[in-house]
Amino acid sequence: MSNGGELRYVIGQNAYIKLILHALKHKTSSVNGVLLGRLSGDVVEITESVPLFHCSQIGLLPPLEIALIMIEEYYSSQGLSIVGYFHANERFDDLELGTVAKNIADHIYRYFPQTAVLLLDNKKLGALRNKKDTAPVMQLYTRDSSRSWNVANRITTKEPSANILLLDFTSSEKWNDIVDFDDHLDDISKDWLNSELFK
Amino acid sequence: MVSKTEESQLQQLENQVENRGGGAWEYLSLVRKLKLRRSDKVLKHGLTILNDPKKRSALGPDEWTLYEQVAIAALDCQCLEVAKDCIKVLQKKFPDSKRVGRLEAMLLEAKGSWAEAEKAYSSLLEDNPLDQVISMRRVAMAKARGDILGAIEWLNKYLEIFMADHDAWRELAEIYVSLQMYKQAAFCYEELILSQPMIPLYHLAYADVIYTIGGLENLQTAKKYYASTIELTGGKNTRALFGICLCTSAIAQLTKGRNNEDKEISGLAAAALEKDYKQSSPSKLSLLSSTLRSLKIQ
Repeated sequence: MSNGGELRYVIGQNAYIKLILHALKHKTSSVNGVLLGRLSGDVVEITESVPLFHCSQIGLLPPLEIALIMIEEYYSSQGLSIVGYFHANERFDDLELGTVAKNIADHIYRYFPQTAVLLLDNKKLGALRNKKDTAPVMQLYTRDSSRSWNVANRITTKEPSANILLLDFTSSEKWNDIVDFDDHLDDISKDWLNSELFK
Repeated sequence: MVSKTEESQLQQLENQVENRGGGAWEYLSLVRKLKLRRSDKVLKHGLTILNDPKKRSALGPDEWTLYEQVAIAALDCQCLEVAKDCIKVLQKKFPDSKRVGRLEAMLLEAKGSWAEAEKAYSSLLEDNPLDQVISMRRVAMAKARGDILGAIEWLNKYLEIFMADHDAWRELAEIYVSLQMYKQAAFCYEELILSQPMIPLYHLAYADVIYTIGGLENLQTAKKYYASTIELTGGKNTRALFGICLCTSAIAQLTKGRNNEDKEISGLAAAALEKDYKQSSPSKLSLLSSTLRSLKIQ
């Protein structure tokens, strides 16, 4: 099984933007999400994402277990599976992959060894306004056969205009429309698929 | 903690104000009363009132409360100049005030001048050792600096004095959960349930923590607390209903079989969930059913 040494990761702009809007909606807490996609040769294509939680109890199992079952069920019918995990820390300057994030990532790794773990880099996100950059504002971590998650530099957005679109959405405060799994559990009429978001 | 009616009232007012329908003062007062963190909106709408001399004087003595509220919101949004201006106004009006002194110290915090802020708080506490808000700032500062263990230490000290502060117990529980110190988090929720046994939120959080620790006995306990949450909420809590399903499924795996009582309550929980989804989220009903099937509930 490839140890991810040659693998590239490409994230589609809808999946990318959704995760960051989620983080912007809940500026004062940690947020997380799952990445969906498929392995295609030596590329992991991340085509979709689902924002999960924003409450301060982000480390607890029950809501996570339900979310993962539902998400796997839904996307497997589209030929997609869970290929990674996204996390944004509570504090602005905290660029460490914490234990909660690592544990969830380890769990996903068991099912998909080429798992991508993405950590939001707030400084890069803030700098986008002044410095045009096409690189994703996230730190990528991958795991080899050792138990540690290591920083890797192999992620790009599929569409080069992703950050421009993100800035657009930021100025229109599009994050208000994002629904995550927490919102769904509090009110099941809310759609965690965010199917209307980019229409 | 905000009730559903208060939440919808807030949402309504917020939409109204955002769409220029007036009601800014009512919105700001509600945010103050419920102690919510809506700093960007408070800043925006509070400044609109404060920058208009007519609107300002219409507030009467509440003007100073608004300056304080906007100052804190400005600090939260890192608009330090705005915060400084508000604090200056308050300093002029209330020259030796401890309350304004607190705002000055918070300004130092927002600037990242931790040592100076710490000095300011210590001296304020010397004259006022039982000031809850200042004692809490110490915890907040430790958290903001990433000194989580320090925050725990301060918070425990705080709770030795102010043991009836439920929000503080919740804060401590949440910090423990973020460090995966689940047993300690469970202890906090046990304290909360003991002092306020009719609040479903604590039962639910406790159940979630206990489930996360795992093991047969804990799963049985979690099941009981999900059940009490359902009772206290009249069956309306989706998380607790799912919780029952998760517990009975996990217990069945550990004991290699499902006893009749578990079959019954998981059946009831599943039926309640299906009814709710059919009514409020029909597009996800089949997804719910397959989820319940994979938990072997159907």
